[in-house]
Amino acid sequence: MAEEPVLHSRRTLTLRFNIPIGKTHEFWDALKQGRFVTTKCSTCGNVCFPPQADCPKCMGDKLEWVELGRDATLVTYTYVQITPASFADSDPYIIAIGELSNGIKVLAWLEGVQPDKARPGMKLRVDTRTSKEGSPYYVFVPV
Amino acid sequence: MSRVAIVGIGHSKFGKRTDVNVAELAFESIKQAVSDAGVDKKDIKNVVVGSAGGWYEESLPAVIVNEYAGLNSVGTMRVEAACASGSAAVKAAYNSIVSGEGDVAMAVGVEKMTEVDTLTSVELIGRAGSYMWEFENYGMTFPAYYALYAVAHMNKFGTTEEDMSRVAVKAHHYGAMNPMAQFQKEITLEKALNSQVVSWPLKLYDACPLTDGSAAVVLASEDVARKLTDSPVWIKGVGYSSDSANLSKRSDYVGLEATVEAAKRAYLSAKIRPDQVDVATCHDCFTIAELMAYEDLGFCKKGDGAKLIREGQTEVGGRIPVNLDGGLKAKGHPIGATGVSMMVEVTKQLRQEAGSHQASIKNGIGLVHNVGGTGHYAYVTVLSRN
Repeated sequence: MAEEPVLHSRRTLTLRFNIPIGKTHEFWDALKQGRFVTTKCSTCGNVCFPPQADCPKCMGDKLEWVELGRDATLVTYTYVQITPASFADSDPYIIAIGELSNGIKVLAWLEGVQPDKARPGMKLRVDTRTSKEGSPYYVFVPV
Repeated sequence: MSRVAIVGIGHSKFGKRTDVNVAELAFESIKQAVSDAGVDKKDIKNVVVGSAGGWYEESLPAVIVNEYAGLNSVGTMRVEAACASGSAAVKAAYNSIVSGEGDVAMAVGVEKMTEVDTLTSVELIGRAGSYMWEFENYGMTFPAYYALYAVAHMNKFGTTEEDMSRVAVKAHHYGAMNPMAQFQKEITLEKALNSQVVSWPLKLYDACPLTDGSAAVVLASEDVARKLTDSPVWIKGVGYSSDSANLSKRSDYVGLEATVEAAKRAYLSAKIRPDQVDVATCHDCFTIAELMAYEDLGFCKKGDGAKLIREGQTEVGGRIPVNLDGGLKAKGHPIGATGVSMMVEVTKQLRQEAGSHQASIKNGIGLVHNVGGTGHYAYVTVLSRN
């Protein structure tokens, strides 16, 4: 089919969001110090990940911060070769879901493993990182 | 409770549609659906537009679409249930009739996904999970979401990359018979298996394309439906459910809990069993999704999805023919239009108007399975001739 005439819009739109993290900033502060923590509801004892200011189980809002633990087992993973526009500068990456010993699951990049060597069941550890822009984040590494 | 029937259907050509804008694209389906129903458009009291939006220039597609079609002063809204927006639109239009707001309503699904570049589309869909915990730091993509399911399914049940490719081959086989499909070419198993890896183990031929397209259905109350047509297709039951946005909160990665729950509710409300379904459309945004759908809808035991495709049970002549219009894989997947397009296909099948890809209709029952996101939403709609 021949290309039809289109109007290439002259008005562009760049979206960048300011996302409030005030209610759970302790998570990111701890991550900067190399600690991996989350919220526990003081009323019903429910542990949440990602951390939440309000308990989804009993709807209470009294929380304490607890260590999450670092040891994990690989549940599933994928090797992403076509990356989104805003990750154009990234090399292909492995995204994994790991299960911590307390049953909580975490999604993060898996680093330090050749894609063809990753296997469900393999032992992992949560490690902390700092992005080029200075933001803390967490990854899995093999044990 | 009043019964509601599909009395008119319309469907645009799917593909890269640089020849039309979003309103013109929707109009192609609206015009056909109104004409097929034989209604005066003044009698349509509610128009629900399913569109996820974001890929095209208009922010309020419902009003843009209605204005272009001359549907003035109608009750309207745009509904969003991600890739299940179309089914959600049909449900909302159905509700308006059941609740007595009017006797005739229309659901329109439309999406124009190719007005932005491909990687921006990848970005827009990749953000459709839990942004802060999956995208900001880790760049999730839609293929990546389903690849996580594929690896878990392969690991637990021995499903193979070849099994997934078989789904693509079937989709293209039927897509080749559908003049409205984006891809109308058969492919070989080798071609699918050797295509570019997008997010391992999913390859280009495991993934649905980015698509522009629209579809529309006119719904009517029982009294009006009987006057309009001799072949009403009744909405016999609808079930819908949802699951966590954040994938790490799901219990496992071998099936979609939202589908299981939606199916249970749909079968209950339609008072049917899965083995009574003559023909189905399943949400095959990725090949693994179709295999999981067979299992989650109860067409086979959990873990036996690959067996069903290997045995050809989901082709014409098989136990439960699935996606005889080419599915999302070959027909294309214009997000908000998909659910409505599925209703159009199953209505055609139940009316015995599907021509070269007609399934054998014994019980007069068809099923539409439409997933939003990665099982974030699921809708199962049972359609029936009786």
